[in-house]
Amino acid sequence: MANLTNLYDVSKCTACRGCQVACKDWNQLPASIKPFKGNYQTHEDTDGDTYTIIKYFEEEDPVHGVSWNFIKRQCMHCFDANCMKVCPKGAYTKTEWGATIHDPDKCIGCQYCATACPFDIPKYLKRVDKITKCTLCAGRVEEGLEPACARTCPTDALIFGDRDELLQIAEDRAKFLQANGFPNATIYGKLELGGLNKLYVLTDTPDKFGLPVDPKVPNVTFWQNYVQPYASWLIPLFLLASGTSFVTTRLIANKNKGHEEGKEVVNDAIGS
Amino acid sequence: MTNSVNDLKNTDCALIMGSNCAENHPVTMRWLLKARDTRGAKLIHVDPRFTRTSARADIYAPLRSGTDIAFLGGMIKYIIDNELYHKDYVVNYTNAACLIKDDYSFEDGLFSGYDEENRKYDVSSWDYQTDEAGMALTDPTLQHPRCVFQLLKKHYERYDIDTVCEITGTPKNKYLEVLKTFCATGAPDKTGTIMYAMGITQHTVGSQNVRAFSIVQMLLGNMGRPGGGINALRGENNVQGATDMALLYHLIPGYINSPSNAPSNKKLIDYIRSVTPGSAKLQFSNLAEFRELVKAGFPNSGWKINSSKWIVSMLKAWYGDAATESNDFAYHYLPKRDDKKNYSHIALFEAMYKGEIDGLVVNGSNPVVGGPNANKEQEAMTKLKWLVSIDLWLNETADFWTYKAWTRSVHNSAVPKITPENIQTEVFFLPAAAVYEKEGTAAQTGRLVQYRWKGADPVGESKADLWIYYELGKRLKKLYEGSTRPEDEPVVNMTWDYDDGHGHDDIYKVARELCGYSLVDGNPVEGFAKLMDDGSTACGNWIYCGGATLKDGQWFYKPQKRIKEDPSGLGIFPDWGWAWPVNRRIIYNRCSVQPDGVTPWPGDEARKLVNWDAAQNKWVGVDVPDFVGTTAPDNPNFTKPFIMQPDGYGRLFAPTSAMKDGPFPEHYEPWESPTTNKMNSRDLNPATKIFEPEKQGTVDKYPIIGTTYRVSEHWQTGALTRNLPWLAELVPDMFVELSEELAKEKGIKNGREVIVSTTRGDLKAIACVTKRLKPFTINGKKVHQIGMLWQFGFKGYATGDTANWLTPHIGDANTTIPEYKAWLCDIRRA
Amino acid sequence: MRVTRRQFLKLSGATAAVFSAAELGFNFEATASAVKQLRIKNVTPTPTICPYCASGCGLVVYAERDSEGKFVKLLSVHGDPDNPINMGGACSKGSAMFNLREIYDPETGEQMINPKRVQKPLYRAPGSTKWEEKDWDWMLDRIAEKIKETRDSSFIHKEKIDDGSEIIVNRTEKIASVGGSGLDNEECYLLSKMMRSLGVVYLETQARI
Repeated sequence: MANLTNLYDVSKCTACRGCQVACKDWNQLPASIKPFKGNYQTHEDTDGDTYTIIKYFEEEDPVHGVSWNFIKRQCMHCFDANCMKVCPKGAYTKTEWGATIHDPDKCIGCQYCATACPFDIPKYLKRVDKITKCTLCAGRVEEGLEPACARTCPTDALIFGDRDELLQIAEDRAKFLQANGFPNATIYGKLELGGLNKLYVLTDTPDKFGLPVDPKVPNVTFWQNYVQPYASWLIPLFLLASGTSFVTTRLIANKNKGHEEGKEVVNDAIGS
Repeated sequence: MTNSVNDLKNTDCALIMGSNCAENHPVTMRWLLKARDTRGAKLIHVDPRFTRTSARADIYAPLRSGTDIAFLGGMIKYIIDNELYHKDYVVNYTNAACLIKDDYSFEDGLFSGYDEENRKYDVSSWDYQTDEAGMALTDPTLQHPRCVFQLLKKHYERYDIDTVCEITGTPKNKYLEVLKTFCATGAPDKTGTIMYAMGITQHTVGSQNVRAFSIVQMLLGNMGRPGGGINALRGENNVQGATDMALLYHLIPGYINSPSNAPSNKKLIDYIRSVTPGSAKLQFSNLAEFRELVKAGFPNSGWKINSSKWIVSMLKAWYGDAATESNDFAYHYLPKRDDKKNYSHIALFEAMYKGEIDGLVVNGSNPVVGGPNANKEQEAMTKLKWLVSIDLWLNETADFWTYKAWTRSVHNSAVPKITPENIQTEVFFLPAAAVYEKEGTAAQTGRLVQYRWKGADPVGESKADLWIYYELGKRLKKLYEGSTRPEDEPVVNMTWDYDDGHGHDDIYKVARELCGYSLVDGNPVEGFAKLMDDGSTACGNWIYCGGATLKDGQWFYKPQKRIKEDPSGLGIFPDWGWAWPVNRRIIYNRCSVQPDGVTPWPGDEARKLVNWDAAQNKWVGVDVPDFVGTTAPDNPNFTKPFIMQPDGYGRLFAPTSAMKDGPFPEHYEPWESPTTNKMNSRDLNPATKIFEPEKQGTVDKYPIIGTTYRVSEHWQTGALTRNLPWLAELVPDMFVELSEELAKEKGIKNGREVIVSTTRGDLKAIACVTKRLKPFTINGKKVHQIGMLWQFGFKGYATGDTANWLTPHIGDANTTIPEYKAWLCDIRRA
Repeated sequence: MRVTRRQFLKLSGATAAVFSAAELGFNFEATASAVKQLRIKNVTPTPTICPYCASGCGLVVYAERDSEGKFVKLLSVHGDPDNPINMGGACSKGSAMFNLREIYDPETGEQMINPKRVQKPLYRAPGSTKWEEKDWDWMLDRIAEKIKETRDSSFIHKEKIDDGSEIIVNRTEKIASVGGSGLDNEECYLLSKMMRSLGVVYLETQARI
């Protein structure tokens, strides 16, 4: 069947963060209160209890003056989902309409998916010792409802529907914006990484919104090609053999240190 | 709002000024963006700070806080100079052609009639020249030197673009872009909306800021038409309803001035004379005589000719059988305020500070965070003998007596050393049910009244406020039961039967009284035109009359209507909820057609709301016509569309007592200003009362302009947002926004703590250094402005210092709304 | 096939509580055990109006009730798709309405009543450093007595006015009432009527500030 997804149009977003809260309401997530650091975007990134955030970027140039750009960040539901490829327990599945969902019952909290994600999306949640992330509200969609974020968007910056049709809307909108003061307007998600099940209309180039212009899958080929296919019997052996790296990763994550740091350690361990 | 939230989609241009609607009324952006996408509407944001509203606007123009009249005065001049006004509209629907008395004058910041000693105007010269019947003389050519149009033109001659930009600090090219874009809506086939909020009203010239809007909108012919109007975005879900019900000292329900001890309010008939326009010089001495005059009609009365019916019906609702024609319908029961006294919020807390108030009931309100000069208001509360706080949470006001309430992060000489032991106030906290744990109606900003059903049980023993008031009222009545003292009669005879038959409150009984019923057959009164002043109808609030009806023989509350149909496509949804007055969604809508009452404005057929139907001999339309239904456009008594005004005209010039500080808006500086007034030699609004002269900060010590505001994620005093973890996590701390330039000058780093000081107090907060604020160039000098959230206090999941420790006890000349939006301060690294 | 917003909204409407994927033309297999049971399925939502800004957005409350219809706990609160003002939308504040009553514990993830809500009337005696729980009757009786005591001791029944005559003014300047903009109309009305009948003239609401 057709892919169903969200189209997010930055030119209509007022960064009210209704989506961010509606996501918590629907997914029954507690707040994660962290100190204010001088930016409206209090959450530096998504976390185990926060599947989506709005990011804020202030820009200034002599012609247009100040602009304030907002973008919603969450799982991109890549067609070719790398998280799924690397998961040793097969916790990830792809719905027939394009959502990448994660089964907490199968997850062992190893966080290899977090390492493998080109967008740094899967997050470890210590409370349950598992990975969590946006499911595109699969439970709602399969009962005929929009995802909570799209449903709550007051300005229709987020809409939900058939990806092909949304793509058409997005392309038309980008053209309209190009002709109306945003010459760099573009769409995102159509071709990146072979296609994302998440579409964006941007008023400027992706880098202005913190999106990778040409996203790449992190280098985890060893795991992906050799370990994962034999996961069921190889994992216990592998874990035994490289226990150090596993434990190191876990410790680092548990200390809530930076994600990047954790990634390096994991990559080194796997690559060696 | 004169129009509605949905109507924003019909606009060709929105001037958002003194409002940050994307953050504070997020859903309005839904309809504005629809207007932009479907009609090519332009969105203009005028604000000291680049906000999330500016981010979505087509034009952002900065202006210094407190200079709106300069900005709009320049716009008025631009409209007149370039003949961009909607001429037919101006001549026929406004008082542009009316002649003003010869002794009216304006000179160097003062209108005629000023009394320096009392800071008050004698307004008698601000009036029309009239004929023998009392009707205003007019010159429809608009050429007479004493006509309003010419006086207006002369008044704003000084507001040239260069002078305006020096005052406001707006870059000239941006100002011109705003003028050109918005004033294009003067074309007959275009409409433009003005949206405002507290950024306009919270100034010593707040009311005149709004007046300036009305002049602009009437010149451009934007009132009473879809996509137009002056749209106050009100701040609390039912602040409209609370105002309707007159939880304000100067009113009784339905926007009628509350009675005072002035000789003109002595008896009911005197009071009726004082609130009924056009009746001052008529001969009558009792209600019977007055009724005859009303029946015949008299000039300059407008729709308020019916005031007696509204007042008497309210007295019948309140005092039942004890209100009879022979005792003036118990008019003497109503409290008469001291006519010379101001009882508004600031004055109330000043009196409390002096120990003049013993008991305070706080209803879902939090003055310790939300009141101006909050350190002082908090100290004032220590002088209370008792305090009743009704709320969901122990907010800062309920907990004002605790140790924490008197702890400050920065040493503050304004805050005395107080501990719970030396606060002798007895405090009662009553836990209230949350909005969806009870039922009732709320009037939103477009006057639309909607019903809330109960979706959950109250937590623990918390109770709906309705139950609390009902129970309290019952107990008070019991305490006074049997008293024969005349002063106790108002309590003894107050009707208070809201029992559902099981000892509980019945909301429908309250609603029935509110919306009115006949004392003859008990049925609902179907509209305020049917209210009577002979004691045969009871109605708690005439503007809510018609809010109930009989449906299949059963009493039915119209706010419960949920039919989502919009036959006109104009976003009217006539059967969704119920709007006052009489379900009218766009007021003054008679202006959506030409004076003949039939022809739409050229090129604007689609936005015609109503018209006179000669065949049916009545007004018809897609909205409820704002005109006496069966009065033809050519009837001499009702040729003018603004029927709530005595003369029916839209007021470019506000005659006599309409305003306390002038018939035309004039620019004055805020009480605390970094500069002198370039427009005239009066710095402060001459009619504003000064409460605390010793607390005025000056530019040498406090060179920076401070202002306060909300964000999407926090609301009002934060009680309803800082106690919600999902909102606390979005904005977890109190912060102050400042420009990169100021941060550099002061060595302040983003995300680090700063201290902001004023004459009234100091606070500590986190710096948010941003490109979105820029220094202004004002009268040739660089001036910085900073801004901060006023939602913080010491309770809840997110806590922080209170911005209102800094704000002054001074208010608007007409309303005494505090000047929260422009004051002087200094800032330094913590 | 296009899944329009309207179709979704229609299905999730306040009056359409029962959802069916088939109506949309979808044919879903249960794709994964990760897809949780839709907890609002077959639940009739209750419409209300958002208590924050005055835009008047509609919200719907989904609650779990026991077999006798007694309220158990909240399931979700979100925008009312039938309300023409917001058409189902809700900003961060409106979307957070669940928290007004209940929260998820950050330590355990468990759903619980918002611990900041006060569940019993509280009394603080003069000079005391603490709150004490009291019952409603005790509180309301004592408040009524306080009001009467203050009113009676400060009441101005008649006074001499500017024209030299004496009139009934029936007011007290020693009791004040502030707030009410968060209340419903019917509540505001009762408050206004009661306060004025008591003679209160220091009567103010947030409209002023």
